[in-house]
Amino acid sequence: MDHKYGRWPEDVWSSHSAGWRQAGKITAGIDVGTTSTQAAVLCGGALYGYANLHTGADFGAAAGRALDLALGDSGMTRADLAAVCGTGFGKRNIACADSTMDEVHCHARGARFLFGAGVRTVADLGGQTVKAIRLYDWNRVRDFMINDKCATGEGRSLEVLCDLLHISITEIGPKSLEAERDPEPVSTTCWAYANAETLGLFGRPEFKAEPLTEAEIYASHLFAYAWRILGVIGRLSPLDAGEIQIDGGLAFTGGLAKNPGITRRIERELGVTALTSRWDPMLAGAIGAALLAAEQEAGE
Amino acid sequence: MNFRQMAADRHTYAADWKARTGGKVADYFEPYFPEEIAYAAGILPVRVLAEHEPDVISDKWIYGACFPARDMINQFLRGRMDYMDGLVNVEGCQWIFNAYEVITNNKPALFRHYLFLPDYTDSTTSKDVLRSELAVFRERLEAWTGRDITDEKLDHAIAVYNENRLLLRRICELRRADRPVLTGSEYMDMLLANQVMDKAEMNGLLEQFLRELEGRQPGRDTIRLMLIGSETWNSDLERLVESLGGNVVVDELDNGTSYFWNPVYPQKDRLMALALRYLGRPHNPVKDNNWRRRPEHIFELAEDYHVDGAIISKQIYCHLHGTDNYAVWRLLRERHIPFHYMERDMSVPEEETALRLEAFLNQVRAGATRLAGWHRKAVL
Repeated sequence: MDHKYGRWPEDVWSSHSAGWRQAGKITAGIDVGTTSTQAAVLCGGALYGYANLHTGADFGAAAGRALDLALGDSGMTRADLAAVCGTGFGKRNIACADSTMDEVHCHARGARFLFGAGVRTVADLGGQTVKAIRLYDWNRVRDFMINDKCATGEGRSLEVLCDLLHISITEIGPKSLEAERDPEPVSTTCWAYANAETLGLFGRPEFKAEPLTEAEIYASHLFAYAWRILGVIGRLSPLDAGEIQIDGGLAFTGGLAKNPGITRRIERELGVTALTSRWDPMLAGAIGAALLAAEQEAGE
Repeated sequence: MNFRQMAADRHTYAADWKARTGGKVADYFEPYFPEEIAYAAGILPVRVLAEHEPDVISDKWIYGACFPARDMINQFLRGRMDYMDGLVNVEGCQWIFNAYEVITNNKPALFRHYLFLPDYTDSTTSKDVLRSELAVFRERLEAWTGRDITDEKLDHAIAVYNENRLLLRRICELRRADRPVLTGSEYMDMLLANQVMDKAEMNGLLEQFLRELEGRQPGRDTIRLMLIGSETWNSDLERLVESLGGNVVVDELDNGTSYFWNPVYPQKDRLMALALRYLGRPHNPVKDNNWRRRPEHIFELAEDYHVDGAIISKQIYCHLHGTDNYAVWRLLRERHIPFHYMERDMSVPEEETALRLEAFLNQVRAGATRLAGWHRKAVL
């Protein structure tokens, strides 16, 4: 199997500014997930640099590499960091972290940074888990849910499907939106069965009463993701009495947040438009960890 | 007192008990089993506890059932329960009933009895129905053992079991303290051991344990949690909670507090006294159909034991728990008791469960003070 289709592009960015020497406290957050690793460096509460890489087999090495890239090329070193906080599935393997924090709180804080103070509900669509988080108006988690069953709705399964179908992971979402209708979603419990079912939709169309177009097959698959994610969001505690289940403060984080074939369908079902950010939504965990590291350092 | 080991050694204990006393052993599944009647007939009632073991046996019998039901078949067919002379099932869970059928079909020589217990426990006829079922059960045990189950023997059994409930309750009450002297895992290990041992022997051990607890220093100051949901068969979840800075201080589990919460109130008609006790115990969802008393009972426990939050842990494929999730969730939310819902099987996958519990403990901590819950990185 050719793995190039499921590989999303890595990304590194730095402000390159030497002004960090005059900035306030510098902290970093590292989010080592099962499929991707992000590091974010904050100077005085502003984003200074980040790296978004594939994790690979070595959690510790991925964390170190991401942090070094996020430090940029303007002379900042690890010694300049006041605090480093680790999060994510591999957080216990981050040698350079001073502390760790759970992913739920990091994504919640990171989402408020990326999408603004209006965020009330965060859907973290990660490589292995889907987390739905509800926030109070202030920075406190009110409720959260994590998927129990396996992986339809998880990033890793989409990577595998793209490799199987030879379609780029960045293209499958937009292509699915070309479908004029959303067919019934494929299996929503097991990602292996869901992928097999999707492959089956391509095979032997002469046996189908109503063969699906390529776009409709993608739509059917991604609709299953959306359906599954909606199930997790739907279990969150309702907002205050009288409010609808989801108000305008919905933010998507994680890799699948960049797939409009999933996010648009969720928005459509909920009847809302999600918040947007100029930054990569995959950074939410790392940014949240860096913010919490700053708070911890300040003794807040 | 190593209760954990006692629960683990339950098969050896039961076989030794038989050799020592010459009595019969009757295993049972459901928490509604009227143990007093069996005990009065000189039988040792042993609760079947599920384990987590690779299983290639049970699938062909009840594929797709819950893990505890499958594991019970697995243990039986592997010969772990060869000491067992009889098996009793009380009307309740359908998966467990299937396990009962598979086991008794595989060993026809077993004494088998299916005891009906009304799902509508507080309807006008429930107590009379159950009393008549208990009378049939008594007659069958008498025929099987060749012993009369007299009122005097029932009185003795009721006294032993009531004493057992009282001791468990006294130990449970110690958990109300701000810094309880025993942990949730210790407590669950004790309860599991209690359900597989002769209650007269266990009562002696509980008295000894109580004295030991009274001499202990207060425990750590921790986040106080309540455990709700399907039965658990080990204390792994409680241990994980403790490793993350929490403590399960009370539960609402069928084999937890619900097992011993209410005593038998003696009356002249012993079987009616037993019927009222089992119909009046804190119910699991399948027996809580009329008035949905369970959510309120959960709330009372949460208040009495000053919990900061609750974990609702449901066995995957458990069809009982889940039927009243809507009522329990609604009540906890209305009364601002934070909770986290999760599904599990026999094992507790550590990383995945720790992720949930860390986040939940941090959520709860933030309610009391500022966001805290930092875990200093462990040295690897």
